[in-house]
Amino acid sequence: MTSAKDDSKGGIYQGRFGELLKVEGKLALREPTGIGMAIGAPIIFVIIFGLIGIASPGNVPNTNYTVLDLYVPVIMVISIIFLGVAFLPVTLVKYREMGWLRRVSVTPVHPSRLLAAQLVVNLALALTAVLIVIFGSELIFGAALDVGILYFVLSLVLTIAVVFSLGLVVAALAPSQSVTTALTGGLTFLMLFLSGLWIPPATVGGPLATIMYYSPSGAAVQALLNSVFNSAPPYTALLTMVVYTCVFAFIATRYFRWE
Amino acid sequence: MDHLVKQYGKTVAVGDISFSISEGEIFGIIGPNGAGKTTMVECISGLRTPDSGSVSIYGLSPQKDRDRIREFLGVQLQESAMPPRLKVGEAVELFASFYPDPMDPNDLLETLGIQNVKSSVYKTLSGGQKQRLSIALALVGNPRIAILDELTTGLDPEARRETWALIESIRDSGVTVILVTHFMDEAERLCDRLALINHGKLAVLDTPEAIAALAGGSRVRFVPSQPVEDKTLYAISGVAEVERKERYITVTGTGDLAASVINSLERIGVHVSEIEARSGNLDDAFVKLTKEGTSKARGTAQS
Repeated sequence: MTSAKDDSKGGIYQGRFGELLKVEGKLALREPTGIGMAIGAPIIFVIIFGLIGIASPGNVPNTNYTVLDLYVPVIMVISIIFLGVAFLPVTLVKYREMGWLRRVSVTPVHPSRLLAAQLVVNLALALTAVLIVIFGSELIFGAALDVGILYFVLSLVLTIAVVFSLGLVVAALAPSQSVTTALTGGLTFLMLFLSGLWIPPATVGGPLATIMYYSPSGAAVQALLNSVFNSAPPYTALLTMVVYTCVFAFIATRYFRWE
Repeated sequence: MDHLVKQYGKTVAVGDISFSISEGEIFGIIGPNGAGKTTMVECISGLRTPDSGSVSIYGLSPQKDRDRIREFLGVQLQESAMPPRLKVGEAVELFASFYPDPMDPNDLLETLGIQNVKSSVYKTLSGGQKQRLSIALALVGNPRIAILDELTTGLDPEARRETWALIESIRDSGVTVILVTHFMDEAERLCDRLALINHGKLAVLDTPEAIAALAGGSRVRFVPSQPVEDKTLYAISGVAEVERKERYITVTGTGDLAASVINSLERIGVHVSEIEARSGNLDDAFVKLTKEGTSKARGTAQS
């Protein structure tokens, strides 16, 4: 077993990450909720807002965007929230509670590699969801997106970072699976509200709008909205996501338990 | 394993236990529930850090040289489940990929008799199949030392026997086995040496036969051809106690009791019939030793 893919750390065997990734990927695909969240949610939301757009054509008052245009970034953020805040921590806490992380920790492979494999799998699902949103809204409902690649990649990376690190905070702090389910449920709802799924911040106005703009999901929507129409995302939105990511990542690494 | 010395003064779980395990033996750790068995093997496998004292495996410390030790240590954990949708074959192949020089996953599944459920997912397996899979994961890395915790809990009698045969064949291939159990028949059948742990203390460490002898040794029941006096019986070497019931005489004692009783009585012209001999068993010893421990522990608590 000395293939080129062997990862070694100071001469200590660390297993083949590819094998771990393959198994975690298969497990995620066998989990109906995972697929539902990654593939089902963006498809359903694109269809709903696409149909709303057809029912009420033209630009939304006071903006230069159609309904679907405005909601493209919201749907992306929602899909990423479903994966990062709802699916990821539930899986990790389940692994910890059933003793799977502990089981792996008595092999030469550190359980952090299992966590890394989970992150990569969820990342791949998130990217799939984003692609579904972009191509679905453009090709089927004719959204006139003009994606500024650099802006978009920057905004997307920060969005995924902030949402996933929030999910890891839940995984680190939640003592049990049932608490995790309750926490992720509440948190997902809150994040969806702040992203402007029900009422966009521009319509809300006042202090609540400010709160939404400076929330993780609200900032993500602002950054993505600008970048899918090829304008520079507001630096306040980017900075907001960076700060949240640092805080969440600190808490998650500080308090994460393997058993 | 050249010398595994371990002393730690954790009053709650394990208090000041030292022993060494030799290479290639099946070393049993028995004791009542909550005696500290699992805590002890967790220290050996590096899952826990002892408060004081140390463990040494081939000169390495499970706490400091965690990574090195894991390459040749196979562990089967009590109460460890797997992702419900993971397939048996995938689990074994995944764990094989964790080790530098693994066994062939298919051979191992064949040996353990779970080749037929290779593509079944974990949640559909029976208790016995889950247990065998868990043993497979402990062995797939070709370990030099295998720690098996509650090996046959939940297995049916036939599966238990097969598992025992498997453990013996592993030992015969040179692997040192540390077996944690609370089944006396299992310990008696498999272990070369046994450590009986009670209230975090090492109550006794010896071969299963020697420990069994502590229970008061063997017991022989017979019918003499003519009356024999108690005095005569007590004079026979090894006899500790004599009981009479109707025409039966039961003597208990140590050593090769049946032979010495028969020979001594023949010499004075007494024939012996309907002989029933039973060697002391581990169960009795276990109950006796753990009771002693308990009463002692109570004594200390009161003082």
